[in-house]
Amino acid sequence: MRKIISGLVIGALAVTAVACSSNDGGGNSLPKTGVAIYKFDDTFMSSVRSAITSAAEGKIAVDIVDSQNSQPTQNDKVDLFVSKKMKAMAINPVDRTAAGVIIDKAKKAKIPVVFLNREPLADDLAKWDKAYFVGAKAEESGSMEGQILVDYWNANPDMDKNGDGILQYVMLKGEPGHQDAELRTKHSVLAIEEAGIKVEKLAEDTAMWDRVKGQEKMAAFIAANGDKIEAVIANNDDMALGAIEALKAAGYFKDDKFMPVVGVDATDPAMQALKDGTLLGTVLNDAENQGKATVELMKVLAAGETPTKDNTGYEITEGKYVWIPYQKVTQK
Amino acid sequence: METTARGVRLKQAFSHNAIWIVLIALIAIITIVDSNFLSLLSLKDIAVQSSTRLIIALGAAFVLITAGVDLSAGRVVGLTAVVSASMLQIPEYGNRFFPDLPQLWAVIPIVIAIAVGFAVGLVNGFIVAKFNVPPFIATLGTMVAVFGANSLYFDMEPNNSQPIAGLRDDFTVIGSGTLDLGSFSLPYIILIAIAVSFIVWIIFNKTELGKNMYAIGGNIQAAHVSGINVAKNILWIYAIAGALYGLAGVLEAARTGGASNSYGNMYELDAIAACVVGGVSTTGGVGRVKGIIAGVLIFTVINYGLTFIGINPNWQLIIKGLIIVVAVAFDIRKYVAKK
Repeated sequence: MRKIISGLVIGALAVTAVACSSNDGGGNSLPKTGVAIYKFDDTFMSSVRSAITSAAEGKIAVDIVDSQNSQPTQNDKVDLFVSKKMKAMAINPVDRTAAGVIIDKAKKAKIPVVFLNREPLADDLAKWDKAYFVGAKAEESGSMEGQILVDYWNANPDMDKNGDGILQYVMLKGEPGHQDAELRTKHSVLAIEEAGIKVEKLAEDTAMWDRVKGQEKMAAFIAANGDKIEAVIANNDDMALGAIEALKAAGYFKDDKFMPVVGVDATDPAMQALKDGTLLGTVLNDAENQGKATVELMKVLAAGETPTKDNTGYEITEGKYVWIPYQKVTQK
Repeated sequence: METTARGVRLKQAFSHNAIWIVLIALIAIITIVDSNFLSLLSLKDIAVQSSTRLIIALGAAFVLITAGVDLSAGRVVGLTAVVSASMLQIPEYGNRFFPDLPQLWAVIPIVIAIAVGFAVGLVNGFIVAKFNVPPFIATLGTMVAVFGANSLYFDMEPNNSQPIAGLRDDFTVIGSGTLDLGSFSLPYIILIAIAVSFIVWIIFNKTELGKNMYAIGGNIQAAHVSGINVAKNILWIYAIAGALYGLAGVLEAARTGGASNSYGNMYELDAIAACVVGGVSTTGGVGRVKGIIAGVLIFTVINYGLTFIGINPNWQLIIKGLIIVVAVAFDIRKYVAKK
């Protein structure tokens, strides 16, 4: 029995070794760079990941690794990049406040670092002139969600079901304490208020970015508030789509019974829901350009140059930031 | 003399039904806070949201009763949700998992998904029964590996880790359709959960396998000595558990109209918590379907009811934790008293 097990283990190791070495092969002449994504199965970061892979072709060799949603794991991956002598690295932090430590490591090893998607604290980024950030202004996604609802409110007076001039909404939040969750929650409502519309929050709960939980929380909101709900604001599309399933079960989206639901991310399922006429609108976080800008920056940095608009194609704000704007996507 | 006997009987009745008393108390408290809670709609929502959880908990109970534990449950749910959803998309959907897949009879992907769950269960059972690896470790291994396999599948071209949606109506109807009886409509998913509970009850109480399961969990040496083929029974038990997770994965996909590899994350802990709260002993040999149903309902009532009355989600977690510990402490006292 022991022989069989050890045989299996050795076999598994051999297969792994072969698989890994085949990954490393090729692209010897291109500068080596490392990218650490916070979590491989995140929908949005998966899109950024494929954008990086395709943009990097023929420009730089990228080694993309998974930080498994754990900051200690990510720090280990950064150490790995250092020992592999990468020419540049891009880090999508698990925890934005951990960027300081990563910048220290990068500075010591003289490897330029581009932070991606999650913005490090300004003080941390200021520690070294070869630390950059590519991403979107998180609050913008929230404001745009709010604006989609404002446009709908102005165009459809009967959205105010009880005619009290106040927009009654429920909020599905992402992970509490997550920067995007907090900012989107705040700015989506702020944008509606700034447009001169009074709002009333009927309910708010976290559905942890998750479709199943979004559906279950929404079912409870409907049971508790019934027809008083006039809009559903979700911090992302997965939760918005979950809410739509709960609304369908409660008889919405047929016989002219509609509920404005907004999300963020513009995922494939969300685009389908827009086409079906269930989701009112979503906000596109531009994965394509985040991935491309990251690659352009790493290419220039790996060559030892300073990134400018001319050599990257992207505006560099304050010598450190590349802002990729969000875009509103609504039903045609 | 008589009064004390009655007192003992009352005490016994109380401790045997403690779980139901807690459930009713919970519902009563929530109803006092918001009287709208006690409605047909809320109760139906709670039953629907309990359905898949119950099927997973029943699977987990098989293993727990043999004094084992199955950590792979949640990840198997995720895998089978993705597997079934990947083959059941409408042809018009923009980014299909298999762009050229013809419209299969819905039953085929469902059976494939359940078979995948069954196969993972067989692997678990095999590792536990043949290699004598402790169940905690064996299923920890499959839990991690199954998630890896699911993520690989989910990341295949052209899907690239995008959530799978655009599922066919003839599939989602299983999760969201209802049987209309006049003005009352009964969701199919509740009927499925009831049917599964009934089948599991039969296996637990009326079959050789059930009898052996309790015997193995009670005392594995004694089971050996009395001529039970322990390895074969364990193999079957893990495989049935796996098939139940597979069914639950299919239902999660049908109920939510989509799937991604994060589905089912940590469901095993919810299932184990529901089982122990429902009186399944963590040391094996004890557990009844009725108790498991109550255990699952308690957690759904907490999830749903506390959201209903707008309790801060962090408090929901604290209350959940308290109930697990208190319920098990109660339960253990019952067995300590027996000995």
